[in-house]
Amino acid sequence: MTAYNSTMILAILPEILLLVLGVLVLLFDVVWKGEKRRALGWLTAGGTALISIVTLLIGRPGEPQSVFGGMLRFDWLGFAFKQIFLLGAIATALFMMDIEKLSRRGQAYALLLTATLGMSLMASAADLVMLYLAIETTSIPLYVLAGFLLDDDRSAEAGFKYLLFGAMTSAVLLYGFSLLYGFTGTTSLTSFVGSLPLALGLVFLIVVGLGFKISAVPFHFWAPDTYEGSPTPVAGFLSTASKAAGFAVLLRLFLTAFPQFVEQWAAVLAVLATVTMTVGNLLALAQKNIKRLLAYSSIAHAGYILIGVVAASKLGVASVIFYLIAYLLTNLAAFGIAAAFGRAAGSDEIASYAGLSRRSPGLAFAMLVAFLSLAGMPPFGGFIAKVLVFTAAVETGWVWLAVVGVVNSIIGLYYYLTVLKVVYLYRMEGENEEQYPIPLTRPYALALTTLSIAILVIGVLFAPWFDSASLAALNLF
Amino acid sequence: MLLEYIAIGVLLFLATAVAAIAIFLGELFGPKRKSDKKAQPYESGMLPIGPGTRRMPVRFYLIAVLFILFDIEIVFFLPWAVVFRQLGLFGLIEMIIFIGILLVGYIYAWKKGALEWE
Repeated sequence: MTAYNSTMILAILPEILLLVLGVLVLLFDVVWKGEKRRALGWLTAGGTALISIVTLLIGRPGEPQSVFGGMLRFDWLGFAFKQIFLLGAIATALFMMDIEKLSRRGQAYALLLTATLGMSLMASAADLVMLYLAIETTSIPLYVLAGFLLDDDRSAEAGFKYLLFGAMTSAVLLYGFSLLYGFTGTTSLTSFVGSLPLALGLVFLIVVGLGFKISAVPFHFWAPDTYEGSPTPVAGFLSTASKAAGFAVLLRLFLTAFPQFVEQWAAVLAVLATVTMTVGNLLALAQKNIKRLLAYSSIAHAGYILIGVVAASKLGVASVIFYLIAYLLTNLAAFGIAAAFGRAAGSDEIASYAGLSRRSPGLAFAMLVAFLSLAGMPPFGGFIAKVLVFTAAVETGWVWLAVVGVVNSIIGLYYYLTVLKVVYLYRMEGENEEQYPIPLTRPYALALTTLSIAILVIGVLFAPWFDSASLAALNLF
Repeated sequence: MLLEYIAIGVLLFLATAVAAIAIFLGELFGPKRKSDKKAQPYESGMLPIGPGTRRMPVRFYLIAVLFILFDIEIVFFLPWAVVFRQLGLFGLIEMIIFIGILLVGYIYAWKKGALEWE
């Protein structure tokens, strides 16, 4: 009896290494005392970076294949998403290092790594049971992280709200899975055989669960409150990696289980994308708090990404992956800036950003890069990502959806530029800004510089990244 | 295909209907003479003191979580012990890894003072 082979180990190599790293973090949390614990952040970020490099070198998949009795798929799609999650975890760990109440507590890093582990499994799960388990492995540490600042009422509220919404939608999702199993007789993600109304019913149930993860309207109510209340680096992680995980499942599930009903579910998702973009952008216009603004902007971005899913073509899937890479870099940078500013200035109000260009030119410039990329301006990553998504929509005949997307991008441009206006053109009333510098600690400087350069690189030299995304997309067709 | 399930639907409907009718008839024709004694939770027994829900020390919660953790360890041990010989060395190594991870959890809980009753 061969219990295992080397392919199986390679297929879950990132997960194994993440588990080892998590255990190490917990051990060092016990061994190290006091100020030394800050190094836990370096350990987490460095370890995750090492995992990413190791998997890039030796953990690359070949032909797509099923491992662990069909529980997981070992293919480029999962591989690409795993790299995205690892990147998100590295940046988040760096941002967490100087948030006072997070950085000295090993649990925070261990929970972050556990959530990343769950996301990795989500990206490669090919079985309903495995998928549900992976979603819960991701969600539960994130609920705790969102409510991590116990003596802060808003953080507790954020965690609790996230938990309630998450539990509810997760139950609906599980109900959909159980019906899917009931009608197909297998938990494996095979093509669903059945009538159209049934398929549509199942699609609705599953969209509820995944719509929560990607914060699509009308399942978005938790997002602004949770982002505002939870520690800023955690909010960044929720809005990027967690969202990417939701899209990984959405792509694999719909294209594997319901390929013959693509017209119908694409129509459902097209409506969802339209509403999500429009509501997200319009509500963002009225925001006074930077974290709430970024929350609504991340809702709007979920809408843009959904356009690529609606296209359901190779280009569509590739554009979704590319968009997620660009969006992850950009939004992590944006939340990192909000975290760096928030801990130095003690405020998340947009009005308090006045004079930032004089208080910290570097931070202001990073903000310029991140916000212009979010708005979809060339030469940044966000521009190419939007172009690809809209191209995919036009190519498959969803011209009206692309038009809605373009109009929404213009609405989005307004509120991103408004923030930049405060940063660059407004001054602090009657004060000399240079007396109020925003100190950037080393982890922030490292992470923000890397992310800003990456945003620019991905916008200028997009071909290699797009090739990788296309390679991953091929696995679904 | 859906027709195969119609029996279940009929059963569900009839079961609900019979229960609903029984309750409805009882409400309609049953004599009702309410008194304080009848409204008490226990007809014969101690008089209830204070509210039914009470605050529990959070320590119990911690102990319960630790208990579940090591309870699951046993749950995994049993089936492994049954097929120990078939699994051979591979099973042994896997179990050692499993115990190793749990051991780290144990050390963590111990050093963080979760085992002290204070």
